[in-house]
Parts: sequence; structure tokens; C-alpha cells
Amino acid sequence: MRGFAQSILETVRHPLLILDAGLRVREVNAAFYHTFKASEAETQDRFVYELGGGQWDIPRLRALLEEVARDGGSFKDVEVRHDFPHVGVKVMVLDAHRVVHDDGTPMILLAIEDATDKMQGIDALCKLNRELDDRVSERTAQLEAANRELEAFAYSVSHDLRAPLRALDGFSDELLRCYADRLDERGQHYLRRLRAGTQRMGQLIDDMLLLSRLNRGAMKREPVDLTALAEGVAAELRDREPDRTVAFVIEPGLSAMGDAALLGVALENLLGNAWKFTSKKASATITVGRQNHEGAPAFFVRDDGAGFDMAHVSKLFGAFQRLHTQREFPGNGVGLAIVQRVVHRHGGQVWAEGVLGQGATFHFTLPQEELI
Amino acid sequence: MSDKIILLVEDNEDDEELAVLAFERSRIANAVVVVRDGQEALDYFFGTEANGGEDAKVMPQLVLLDLKLPKVGGLEVLKRLRADPRTRRLPVVILTSSKEEEDMLTSYDFGANSYVRKPVDFNRFADAIQQLQMYWLVLNEAPTPGGDRP
Repeated sequence: MRGFAQSILETVRHPLLILDAGLRVREVNAAFYHTFKASEAETQDRFVYELGGGQWDIPRLRALLEEVARDGGSFKDVEVRHDFPHVGVKVMVLDAHRVVHDDGTPMILLAIEDATDKMQGIDALCKLNRELDDRVSERTAQLEAANRELEAFAYSVSHDLRAPLRALDGFSDELLRCYADRLDERGQHYLRRLRAGTQRMGQLIDDMLLLSRLNRGAMKREPVDLTALAEGVAAELRDREPDRTVAFVIEPGLSAMGDAALLGVALENLLGNAWKFTSKKASATITVGRQNHEGAPAFFVRDDGAGFDMAHVSKLFGAFQRLHTQREFPGNGVGLAIVQRVVHRHGGQVWAEGVLGQGATFHFTLPQEELI
Repeated sequence: MSDKIILLVEDNEDDEELAVLAFERSRIANAVVVVRDGQEALDYFFGTEANGGEDAKVMPQLVLLDLKLPKVGGLEVLKRLRADPRTRRLPVVILTSSKEEEDMLTSYDFGANSYVRKPVDFNRFADAIQQLQMYWLVLNEAPTPGGDRP
């Protein structure tokens, strides 16, 4: 029977120790000698604490083993990290059982799993993760800095561009005013074109500034009444062109979490667009509402105006991109870029559907109250 | 011709000429004195160091101050004007192309009386100049420059 136990001992791939009740080493397997670089001579019959010149004198292990020796029972999955002078740092997972020998003497079976490699792997993985995190935040910081620089550049450029524009506009105005008698109709026409161009460029610059400001500055997160905002914009549009026949159908109770000022700008642009692109119709309908989109609520602004060809949909939200000529519908191509920025800053999505000559629908999602 | 002086602190030649044009279009004729940087503005009020401040000029009724100026910036000029008893209460209107919130807030913090952004459209610019002139030189009651409480 002893031979049988011995064979098991020798076959187990993990280091195993059998101690007597006094914690002296009775049996040791080859895996132990190999892992801890110990020899039979310096192991047999020693106290477990004396092994390898006292390097197994690990207070925690000692406490655990003494408890098992005294009270019986067992312990399992106890992780012990120890710096062995001869073999270096080892992470061991220990199991111990009190067993009774054939001759009736109690013994303690101590199984040791050398988890050093596994732990090192985990440590390495953690370290790698940390490094990756660090690198990501470093890159993010760099990107943010570059972005800020770009915004500042755009800001100062558009700023400085305004000064020469003022000169162009002012002096051509003075020419028209005081020197008109020395210019024929054609000359005056060119001057007027010059002024119109200057003022349009001024508008473009202002829009660019607005666009860059949308990304800067703090953003509030509070409940916003979209219905009220939309009704306000609709009233303003009606006031501006009271002769038009446009029915606004605005769903009551539309709300979202966000920045009321920014969302107001987005709605101004969406409704302003709907208003503009229905201007060639005798009567039009503009609808603002909410629908389900892939299980989440999405808002929409729909009109039955000029619409657009879905083939060009990718251009729609780009800054200064236009699908119509100035002559057809005036504009800078900034409105939908503004809408997109506002929605993206809120963490939402925006997309469009259109049919040429039949109208367009703009959908957007925003964070909802209950989700925050 | 009113004897009231408007001091325009402006480094951009075009803007200077446009402002003068705008003043010419207005019905109230004031003397407009132009200085072209912040140091020149300070010398106007407090005299040059070379002359021990003896050559300070006649106090204007209104200062139109640009922010972006060579040598000494507009905000620094404003700060110095507010720190000196002679110019502490002088109406100073910031006339700038900056729409930067930060510039506006700092200007008010430093004691600017108004903040006006130069529009690109010259008609609107001329209109702004005329309104400023009307308000600050006709409607507004200004204290005697450098005067103390009795």
C-alpha cells in the first residue's frame, strides 16, 4: 500500500509534501525537488520551516499548517507569494488536507501549485492593459490638443479675415454713394456685386465661427422641452414671412436631456431648412415628432418641399456642402453641419431621408431622461 | 462744430478711415483724434515719459478702443485708464472685431462702458458709430474729466 501511495505521489505533476503532525517532512515528490531546486538530503525529516535554509519559513503558511495539524480539516486555494532566496519570487496556490496514515498516525498532505507563470502572465496582461490605457489617454490628450489648436486657428483666421472684408464693403459703399455719378450702370452693378460678395463672405465667416464655437464651451445636461422650442422657432418663421401658408404639426410632449441653447440652434436650422425648401409650394406642411427607430425613440422633422436625391445624402451634413444653387435656394451649407455637431455633442445620431420633389425627413436621437 | 473730442484708438488703417467716413456721415460733427497703438493712447492721456507727462492732451469725451493693438494692448490701456483718477470715469467703448466671450467679459471686468463688435456691413458699422456718438456725446451726462466729489 505504501508503494501505491508512493507511486501516486511520484506521478502527480505538482509539488507535493507529506508532513507529520509535528510538521516534519515525511515524503516529497520529484516535482517539489525540481520546482524548488531542493535535494532529498536537505528535505527529509526536516521541519517544513527549515527547508532550503529556512526559506520556507513563511508566517502565513506556518499559521495555516499549524491550524490544520491542531484542528484537523483542510484549506484550499490559498495563494501565497514568497520571495525564495534560491529560486526567486514564486506564487503558489496551496491545498492541504489532514489524512490518516495506514498506521493510524495523522499526516498532512500539502499540494503546491506553482502559479508563478500564470500570475506573471496575468500581471503582464494587466501591465499591458495599463500601458494601453496610458497610451490611449496620451493619444486622446494629443488629439484634443490638436483639435483645440485647430479651433483656435480657425477662430483667429476668421477673425482676421473680417477686417479686410470691412474695408472692401465700406469703400465700395462709399464709391456707390459719392461717386455714382462718375460710374455708368454697369460699373455700379459691379460694385453692388462686390458688396454682396463681401457680405456673403462675412456671413460665411460668422457661420464658421458659430460652428467652431459649438465645439467649445461647456454643455449643460438638463431636461429640454423640444415641443416648446420647435413651436418658438415656428412662430418666428411665420413672423418673418406671414404671407406663406405653412402648417406646422408639432407633437406635444417631446423632451430630451441636453443643452437647451444648442438644441435650439439645431431646431432653428432644421425647421429653417424645412421652411426654406418648401418656399416654392403654395402650401406646405412641416411635421415635428417622435418615432421608434431600432427600439429607441428618434425625433424627426419632415417637410413636403423640394427634397433631395438620396444619391447625394453623404454630402448633406458636410460643412459648406450644398445640393442646390444660390439661385434656387440661398444658403451657406452650414445649417446641417451645425445640426450634426449639436447632435453628436449630445451623443446622438442624425440621418436623413429624401425624395427629390417630394420632401425630406431629418431624424435625430438624443439622450433620454430615464436613461441618465 | 462741437468742441467735444472723440479719441479713436485703432491700428488698422482701413478701419480708421472707415470710422472717419462713418463720423463724416453723421450729423453731429465732433473732432476725431486717432492714435494708432496702445502706447500712443497712454501718452495722449498721461504725456510722454520724455516730457515728464507735461505733454498730456485735452481729455476726450469718448474713447473708442480696439483690443488688438501693437505695443500695449487695448485691455492694458483700459486697465491703466481705470487706475488713474484723471481718467477713471472716462467713457470707454470697446470697438473690436472680436466676438470672443472671454474678451467681452474681461473688458467689462476692467470697467469698459460698452462693447461693440464691428460689423462687416459698412452701413451697419456707420449706423453703430452714429448711435455711439449720439448716445455718449449727446444723451449721456458725463462727469467732468478728473473731477472729484465736492
